Amino acid sequence: MILNLKHHITRLIWISLVLLVFLLIAFSLGLSIGPTQSGMRSAFSALFSIGDSDSVLHSIIWRIRLPRVLLATIVGATLSLGGLVFQALLRNPLAEPFILGISGGSAIGAIIGILLGLSRFPGICFTSFLGSLGTLALILIMSTGKSILRKDALLLSGVMVNAFCSAIIMFLVSITQDARLHNIIFWLMGDLSAPDLPEVATLGAILIPCFILVFVFSHAMNILMMGKDMALTMGINIKAVTLILLIVTSFMVSATVSFSGLIGFVGLVIPHLLRLVLGPDHRFLVPACLFGGAAYLVLCDLLARTLPQQGEMPAGVITALIGAPLFIILLKKSRK
Amino acid sequence: MIPRITTILTSVIIVLLAGALPLVAKTAMDQLGREIQMPDDPQRIVALAPSITEIIFALGQQDRLKGITQYSNYPAEAAKLPRVGSYVRLDLERIVALNPDLCIAIKDGNPKETIERLQSLNIPVFAVNPRNLATMMQTIRRVGEILNASAKAKTLVEDMRSRMQRVDALVARIDHRPRVFIQIGISPIISAGTNTFVHELIIRAGGINVASGSRAYPHFSREKVLALAPDVLIITSMSRSGAFEKAKTDWSRLSDMPAVRHQRIYTVNSDVFDRPSPRLLDALEILTRLLHPELFKDGP
Repeated sequence: MILNLKHHITRLIWISLVLLVFLLIAFSLGLSIGPTQSGMRSAFSALFSIGDSDSVLHSIIWRIRLPRVLLATIVGATLSLGGLVFQALLRNPLAEPFILGISGGSAIGAIIGILLGLSRFPGICFTSFLGSLGTLALILIMSTGKSILRKDALLLSGVMVNAFCSAIIMFLVSITQDARLHNIIFWLMGDLSAPDLPEVATLGAILIPCFILVFVFSHAMNILMMGKDMALTMGINIKAVTLILLIVTSFMVSATVSFSGLIGFVGLVIPHLLRLVLGPDHRFLVPACLFGGAAYLVLCDLLARTLPQQGEMPAGVITALIGAPLFIILLKKSRK
Repeated sequence: MIPRITTILTSVIIVLLAGALPLVAKTAMDQLGREIQMPDDPQRIVALAPSITEIIFALGQQDRLKGITQYSNYPAEAAKLPRVGSYVRLDLERIVALNPDLCIAIKDGNPKETIERLQSLNIPVFAVNPRNLATMMQTIRRVGEILNASAKAKTLVEDMRSRMQRVDALVARIDHRPRVFIQIGISPIISAGTNTFVHELIIRAGGINVASGSRAYPHFSREKVLALAPDVLIITSMSRSGAFEKAKTDWSRLSDMPAVRHQRIYTVNSDVFDRPSPRLLDALEILTRLLHPELFKDGP
């Protein structure tokens, strides 16, 4: 048993280290590439030598790219962890915050918050959270009993919830001509450009405890995956664990939506990829999804802001271009 | 993660302190009533909207201009300047990379968050807020003052005023005001309400804006436009592309509309009509000719 534990910890450290290195590489690329070319060496000298001679590059790296790459890191980690949790709790490999409509509900909440003139913290974050809880309740009601465990039922309710959410969003956008909604189309496809470093730090400070909480419950998720009876014999309060995890995950997702809009499929691509490599144990998957999802979104955002000649495209365009085909493949496979 | 954030925050504070020594030489009040500290003689200006680019060129101050926005296409000379995204979606990194000593922003269009972030990066942002022709002239005067081109601004504004008075004098002679619908959006159909430049241009040019109302940019259905029975229908187009010609043909089928019966559907260049720049006077003259051709029968 002790040997087993030791083995377990070594494996955990190895997995985390490898993915952390991957994240660091993505992070460095994200920092050193942008519309104003700088190269990795000058980017890093600007990053570490404070008050250095080239003050323009210094503020570009510190004040523009760093907050953006950090935001992509946090949002990517959250969304991929969100996908993992929903897949475990609903025992459905196709569950994901965006596909389920949780992100859409948060977006409605966020737009209402914007229209009410609330500040991002705590106002819009809170309305966004209420929105996500609303759709979560809707999904759970629509698929009462066991039907949520069936892939088709879940997908159908997700499609309906999403359609309903986008209708409400279009409705709100059409009835107001609020200048604050100017960038809404961009935001609806995932926008990582806006915030300042302190805001990103606040988001991180809110989300990191959530990450830890999910990690604490990772063993419980393993047992839940084995079925109800197993969970009962292992002395796990299924209802409490499920409820806590659903609410915490909805909260994490809504917090990121209020920052960066709707970025889909990160929670599908990363957990699936990592499950293929690492197996089904959530005690490894939780940290792996955090680092892997972070690196993935940083790279997607890098593509989104460097591919167009003029300006940039929303990061959600890239994640959906990669994620949606994968979703179709997974659906096809799971039917067989 | 937490210690990393603390290090980052401390470093940011140090950076802020290090960078907090801009070349402040004068304090100016912008059109939002904010006190802006800016260089006495700004040399590296980024114009955050096409109208501002036009104003700077009209003032002959284009040598100071180092960056413009995506759709700044007038005058043609401006095209060779670097672009910093579109005016509703500014690219912060490109702006900062130009190392500007002043950005000129417009309240109606530039996102507030971007403006705040520019200021937090120690880049002074002078905001203008033209609401109608009169305040637009004030805008030109104010921009002239901060660019040390007050004399040029004064003659420019005087010229604009005399052109406006000439139109006023002509329009005073009319005995009938045609009902006008200006279509600024094709699909959906969008027009301009009371509190807009387009509305003011229609009134000054001797017409009635059938789209007047509290909403600035109301949407219309085809049916509603028909019910408003405009005598003149004007489509503003950003390009000379087919979509606008098609809109014109589509309207032409509704022969019950007075504008169709009397063949008074026109397309005009939207850049001239919707940018608060000196070219609005061109728009006023064009519109007056379209609404009241009878005034121009014996020469201009």
